[in-house]
Amino acid sequence: MRVTARIASLCCAVLLSQAVVAADALPQRWVSAGGSITEWVVALGGQNKLVGVDTTSLNPIELKKLPSIGYQRQLAAEGILSLKPDLLLGTEEMGPPPVIAQVKGAGVTVESLATKADIATLEHNLTRIGALLGDEAGAAKAVADYKQRLEQQAQWVKTAQAGKTAPTVLLLLSHAGSSPMAAGQDTIGAWLIEQAGGRSIATHNSYKALSTEALLALDPEVIIFADRSIAGPEAKAALLKQNPALAATHAAKADRLLALDPTVLVGGLGPRIPDTLAVLGAAFYPAAQPLTANAKP
Amino acid sequence: MNPVVLPRSLFIALGLLLALALLLSLALGPVSLPLLDTCKAALRLLGLPVAGDGLEQAELIIGQIRMPRTLLGLAVGAVLALSGVAMQGLFRNPLADPGLVGVSSGAALGAAIAIVGGASLGGLPDAIAPYLLSASAFAGGLVVTALVYRLGSRNGQTSVSTMLLAGIALTALAGAVIGLFTYLADDATLRTLTFWNLGSLNGASYTRLWPLLVVTIGVGLWLPKRAKALNALLLGESEARHLGFDVERVKRELVFCTALGVGAAVAAAGMIGFIGLVVPHLVRLLVGPDHRVLLPASALAGAALLLFADVVARLVLAPAELPIGIVTALIGAPFFLYLLLRGRA
Repeated sequence: MRVTARIASLCCAVLLSQAVVAADALPQRWVSAGGSITEWVVALGGQNKLVGVDTTSLNPIELKKLPSIGYQRQLAAEGILSLKPDLLLGTEEMGPPPVIAQVKGAGVTVESLATKADIATLEHNLTRIGALLGDEAGAAKAVADYKQRLEQQAQWVKTAQAGKTAPTVLLLLSHAGSSPMAAGQDTIGAWLIEQAGGRSIATHNSYKALSTEALLALDPEVIIFADRSIAGPEAKAALLKQNPALAATHAAKADRLLALDPTVLVGGLGPRIPDTLAVLGAAFYPAAQPLTANAKP
Repeated sequence: MNPVVLPRSLFIALGLLLALALLLSLALGPVSLPLLDTCKAALRLLGLPVAGDGLEQAELIIGQIRMPRTLLGLAVGAVLALSGVAMQGLFRNPLADPGLVGVSSGAALGAAIAIVGGASLGGLPDAIAPYLLSASAFAGGLVVTALVYRLGSRNGQTSVSTMLLAGIALTALAGAVIGLFTYLADDATLRTLTFWNLGSLNGASYTRLWPLLVVTIGVGLWLPKRAKALNALLLGESEARHLGFDVERVKRELVFCTALGVGAAVAAAGMIGFIGLVVPHLVRLLVGPDHRVLLPASALAGAALLLFADVVARLVLAPAELPIGIVTALIGAPFFLYLLLRGRA
């Protein structure tokens, strides 16, 4: 009896130690920089490995409890090393380069992923994160799901657009100042608008300040504010009162002002993009049946 | 203004303060190392035979991160304070700071060109890219200062007041061009630009360090030789000339030293305000205006203040860190006000 128990416990110990060895090869303590990369780590089940995040990693809200390593472009080597990480995961936006070199020099694996907003980049990034988590299958499934949802979105836009012209859309950042910044052609903001079935009407590149007159001249049919705080009707009314030019646009007259969480715009395609697209699409085409149940306009 | 302390006691106090600052800068950081390990690792880095078992991490942190950072802080603080003394002596105005001859704004312009231009050029060779910003900032500082000096000179005579006004005009001009670059920048380069303007000792490495060390030693050896001339300048230019000093040459040297020193400091660590303006003041409040004391004492005080500020900058938000320009002003300004008010009472 005792012998069997001993053998059993020995077997258990051997099995366990093997599991530990396999897990040891993978990085266990992660520091993640870059909002959407961190979101993907969490989405793929790696949240318990995170020991620190940068200031752009704001979702989900529990990440705020982790130590902050500062802004991803202004990292400090010693601060990161004090968290004793095995891996510094981030995007090509991480810097400054001498600091990254110091972190590498201290024996920390540095994984720098691309932030380009396209599926090929996303697939590559998720495959890397999956491999680092030891869950390639989970990552492959996430990529497949993501592709499928974007496909559905494209199909939905095609149906909704039948016989209609796409609404003209402008995405504004930081409306509080005198002149808001408008998302230009090459931004992820413009990509979101196009994918949701709108037509991005800002002609410039990157984010540029837009004068009130230019806003009137563009006269968009829909305006998206990258700011959650204007979601309520009172906040909207106050905003329009402060900005008479804004109130004179088609979008304001037809009450087509949308609020968008600005963190979806940071660091490439994140896991919340498909939901965001469904919500935007439903707002662009109010007559169409929304793609998802919770995407009510 | 009567000196509050004797020069000798001031030098002893500042020496101790700087030694403490050096020690803290090597011993404190987000990674907590036992003090004994810190000392051992530091001794080993100096080449002394100390048993080095289990010191790999300490040696790496001290040798590759804290040591270059400490040396950078030492050099930047000293050279900024020295340049501040030189400028306040040259302009005979306690409000003068090294920025007055255009070196800071020129360097900022150079940096803006490198940051925004470098981003639009795309992939530079890895061998050049890290130095582009520093080289461009240094060159910008020298060019604008040379221009200010040219504008202030006529027939071999340099008018300090014309130079001052030319400096203001060129600073405004540089500000406008920087503004234009800020407008052209995308959001990523904009953040880089903003942080650069706040200064930081973060990411110091020996390769970026040595040009600044050479310049600091040069300026630190040269300026004290002109202490007597600076003292004479306090009486006025013609008085200094009658006392037998080659005033034009002294002016030229002071401007050149400032351009070189501040240019190199800004190129290595970004814009760090406050040290150049307030440290000389602070020292003058304590020991009076004799440049023979003022110059070396300011160098010590500038280095110590910057090192203390850097220790705070790296600890207060750890593991993140604060730009050091914020901390120098936060520590220095109240202390300066205290000295001012005490002096008045």
